[in-house]
Amino acid sequence: MERSLTHIALFAALIAVLGLVPQITLGAGVPITAQTLGVMLCGTVLGARRGALAVLLFMALVAAGLPLLSGGRGGIGVFTQPSAGYFIGFPFAAFVAGWVMERTTLPVGIAAGAASVIGGIAVLYIFGISGMAIVLGKTLSEAAMLGMAFLPGDVIKVVLAGLVTQAIAQARPGSLLSRPQTLPVSAFN
Amino acid sequence: MAGITLRDLGYAAAGKVILAGLNLQLDQRRIAIIGRNGSGKTTLLRLIAGLVAPSHGAVTVEGIDPYRDRKGALQRIGILFQNPEHQILFPTVEEELAFGLRQQGMTQKDALRRTRDALAAEGRAHWAQASVSTLSGGQKQWLCLQAVLLMAPETILLDEPFSGLDLPAIARVTRRLEALPQRLITISHDPASAAKAERVIWLEAGRLHADGPADQVLPQFTAEMARIGEADADADLAG
Amino acid sequence: MLTLTSPVETPLHRLPAGAKLAGLAVFTLGLFQISNLWVLAGLALALAALQLSFGRRFASHALRMLKPLWPFVLVLALWHLWTGALADGAFLVLRMGLAVAAANLVTMTTRLSDMLSVFEMLARPLSPLLPPRRLAMAFALVIRFIPNLAERMALLAQAHRARSARRPGWRLVVPAALAALDAADQAAEALRARGGAD
Repeated sequence: MERSLTHIALFAALIAVLGLVPQITLGAGVPITAQTLGVMLCGTVLGARRGALAVLLFMALVAAGLPLLSGGRGGIGVFTQPSAGYFIGFPFAAFVAGWVMERTTLPVGIAAGAASVIGGIAVLYIFGISGMAIVLGKTLSEAAMLGMAFLPGDVIKVVLAGLVTQAIAQARPGSLLSRPQTLPVSAFN
Repeated sequence: MAGITLRDLGYAAAGKVILAGLNLQLDQRRIAIIGRNGSGKTTLLRLIAGLVAPSHGAVTVEGIDPYRDRKGALQRIGILFQNPEHQILFPTVEEELAFGLRQQGMTQKDALRRTRDALAAEGRAHWAQASVSTLSGGQKQWLCLQAVLLMAPETILLDEPFSGLDLPAIARVTRRLEALPQRLITISHDPASAAKAERVIWLEAGRLHADGPADQVLPQFTAEMARIGEADADADLAG
Repeated sequence: MLTLTSPVETPLHRLPAGAKLAGLAVFTLGLFQISNLWVLAGLALALAALQLSFGRRFASHALRMLKPLWPFVLVLALWHLWTGALADGAFLVLRMGLAVAAANLVTMTTRLSDMLSVFEMLARPLSPLLPPRRLAMAFALVIRFIPNLAERMALLAQAHRARSARRPGWRLVVPAALAALDAADQAAEALRARGGAD
């Protein structure tokens, strides 16, 4: 019980911190934000329900006025910006990623990568592109063209989500709440 | 039944035995637990506090099972973690202090009033709204101890209360602890800080190694630590 | 922690947070019903005048908070220069700016704790699923642990720098996530030591 609450809260904090540190630079020197990576990790590490709750908790604090979105953005205006669809899609992305993770028996890293493609790209883009279409007054296909600009960065994040989840599974096997527990966790609960 | 009773107490995690076969009746006012790193001292404290369930045997604190009866345990036992950073749960000082009182059934209003009174009594009224992340290590530790004291438990468990403190802070904390009427059970790896205890319990590799008055146990412990320090290469891996 | 609330006290600060949010919802829904460019331009002028009336410091803070919009302004400008429908472009830029600026105005004039209280009130119908005290506890835990995790990230980055000439980049994400998991276990234990979550 306590452990569930604190994991949700700490992963909400992790998404925030990953947004504060904009130091991830691609090979070509293109900076990408690790924040959506944090959203994917909520799903792949905590599972569907806890992962989505962690993301919702983060969103509530951002909407309430903490500048925790990458670039120091925050406040209720995040719901009316052209990128609002991505923001609103975050908990759905985490939920779907967690749902996939809970149901596949693939090795952890591959499962997390696949879960992130489905949750963090497919689901998130549906929300994000719809949001841009509405706010920018464009058709869905026009908005989709704009959205594709983020695809290379997001593909890299999917790979990272797989690697990071794999590394977590190795370092703290009992902490991967999205997977059936192989080790006794009676030490905590 | 008075005091704390450990009956054939054992604890294992992930197949590794951490504590085994402890039978102790603890009813002195000042008790020290000493031992090397990894001897199971902290696990013993967590078992007494009811934070983890024993894998074997039982713990009884003033007649209750601290793991199952959490409400009862809150009145009887408080614990100060070794690292205050692991204990603080709230962003501001007053929230951190008021939390335990609320858990004991006080209303938010009363809990905040008690908290402010306590801060004022210690000359720290201006701390109420302060962010915990701005406090120094010694101040964080003061906050954690104050949070435990506000809940007024009968026994306080202290896990290396002096680690990470500078000398003036150690003197202050020592003075504060000595004045407390409660039963204190203190973990230490430093024999000097255990010297004033009425009873010293020495754990080695999860088992009781020695148990008695400070002037008997501590000289043996000091001699043994010196011997080990000269002899081995510390190359053994845990588990 | 640093919030987006403006330190410049305005009369809007004294309005209840719930009323401001309800007003904002009505305003934003109404905004998307407007089809006349000049109505939007009038609203934009009125909003700008209101913010200027709160002083230059407040107005420049408000302007800074609109900065994340500029890539979208650029995209719209290029797009509508290309298609030649400039009035449409101006309309979309104004609508986007108004929607965000009005929301920012609410954020800038409402304290974080008041906003969170509104959220806790809105979540009350869910109380069988989500007890209000647990929600409040969750907010407090996140605010408590963000500076803590940020500091650990900074220390990890320094540890990396001490032994590597390369930038740490994504390699920090693994230890940061492990730090979050460990902190979660420690906090769970600290919570249990003082009566648990209910």
